[in-house]
Amino acid sequence: MTRRSEPDIPCHFGPHGGLFGLYHPGALGAKTAVLLCPPLGQDLIRCHRLYRQLAHALAGQGTAALRFDYYGTGDSAGGSEEVEWLRCLEDVATAAEQLRLRSGCERIVGFGARLGGSLALAAVDSARLDELILWDPVLDGAAHVAALDALQAALRFDTDRFVAPRPATALADQWQGFAVGICLRQQLAELCLDPPHRRTLLLQSVAAAADRHRFAAAGAEVATLSQPTPWNDLARLETAIQSHELIEAVSRRVQEALHA
Amino acid sequence: MHEQATRFGRANHLTGITGLPTEDARSTGVIILNAGLVHRVGPFRLHVEMARQLNARGFPTLRFDLSTLGDSSASGESSSREQQVRSDVADAMALLRKQAGCSRFVLIGLCSGAQNAHLVAHSSEAVAGAVFLDGYAYRSTGFKLRHYLPRLLNPARVVRHLARRLRTAPAAAGSGFQVEFPPQARVRDELAVMLDRGLKLYFIYSGGSSWYFNHRRQFGECYGRALATHPGVTVSFNKEVDHTYILVGDRRRLLDNIESWLCTHFPQPAPARDTRQAAATT
Repeated sequence: MTRRSEPDIPCHFGPHGGLFGLYHPGALGAKTAVLLCPPLGQDLIRCHRLYRQLAHALAGQGTAALRFDYYGTGDSAGGSEEVEWLRCLEDVATAAEQLRLRSGCERIVGFGARLGGSLALAAVDSARLDELILWDPVLDGAAHVAALDALQAALRFDTDRFVAPRPATALADQWQGFAVGICLRQQLAELCLDPPHRRTLLLQSVAAAADRHRFAAAGAEVATLSQPTPWNDLARLETAIQSHELIEAVSRRVQEALHA
Repeated sequence: MHEQATRFGRANHLTGITGLPTEDARSTGVIILNAGLVHRVGPFRLHVEMARQLNARGFPTLRFDLSTLGDSSASGESSSREQQVRSDVADAMALLRKQAGCSRFVLIGLCSGAQNAHLVAHSSEAVAGAVFLDGYAYRSTGFKLRHYLPRLLNPARVVRHLARRLRTAPAAAGSGFQVEFPPQARVRDELAVMLDRGLKLYFIYSGGSSWYFNHRRQFGECYGRALATHPGVTVSFNKEVDHTYILVGDRRRLLDNIESWLCTHFPQPAPARDTRQAAATT
């Protein structure tokens, strides 16, 4: 059943109020809330609308949700070059506490797309997440770094974007529009994540059979979305990611969690 | 610099972030409008970087989402999109007037943001300036000569072009952001009205607009010499950069240019009482 949700509340929280978030209130007395962990880089901007729609859908069914930006991303404090993996993990934990505080819920479901899923997975203990819903999470950091580097190299010669190829130096130390620090690059290159020991739903919209088997073997539920998501597609770099199927799948899973 | 996330507007439906300088705030507030459908952070976080750089130079800023974009909802009014934009920006100006004591405003917009900036700058007396990133311009004879002549003089390019035309269906000119422009004469007249009111206007064209703008001189070809040489008008064209400033260095140069233009044309700080007293009394 869908209820008329209250308007979302923009807020600052965390150390020095440096994190920006939007809190979507749920129903009074609810026990479970959802923390929406955004991806990083351009994926964050591409997923913004979908995260908002998902938060509205959850709030509409009575589940509070918190969207937020990590330090150095979105509307949070800090520059893009300051984004750093360990700080992002701290931010997930800080945001989870903020959600507990605002919603009064002790039970938190963590959702994340791409690196947002990776961060929810990596922070599952420190943020005390009770359950995870992961959409195409990045589990092999080295492969992800290689893919972003390849996209950046191709960007230089993208004639749909530039009148003439740009010098390599103009594109150095960046991934698709964002400055990247040495620290984050190194941290991502070393990233290797295993399935968690928590109730988990893995949603896949890109082919990754090995991940599917690993998660299934660890007891996670795995589902495949009918449409592939164009994550690493230079031609659609500034096109919003949309998936009603994803919103429905996550909403359904959260409803199940309420009754689990 | 201090940022504050806010819900505001006549239906409390708009979401934005005000950025207030810690000291020596200027009386001119800067309002940054959505670029296309991208939420208020802007393409590749351009608007966040812009707001913070201008805050550091004393300009109060507001980056916000227009009705139904980003995190803003619909106002519930049954009015035209143009009227909604005017009302949303009026709400934004009221907020910045209340929070920072601003008495006049500069609007900054990219692509559709430039069109919305034009719309409001033409009709609102509170607007003192505007920065149009890949805003209106029209293909002139000079544009066509610069565009087609090099191609016609190169037989290999002519052959490639014809082969491409035969292979593919005709595509829309330019990359994916083509929008419909109002009649050229109307835009020229509206710009003249703005300049007569004393507005300062900064037109910045990128290589991403090269399907309709390919030389700084084209501004005069479109709008006439009187407008092009008017002291209130500044025009720049940077052919090598893309429409949304994907490269960090390009963004940095763009922001430095905007900051420099603002400091030149809107130099004065706010009177000491304005900021604090206005905030205290509201």
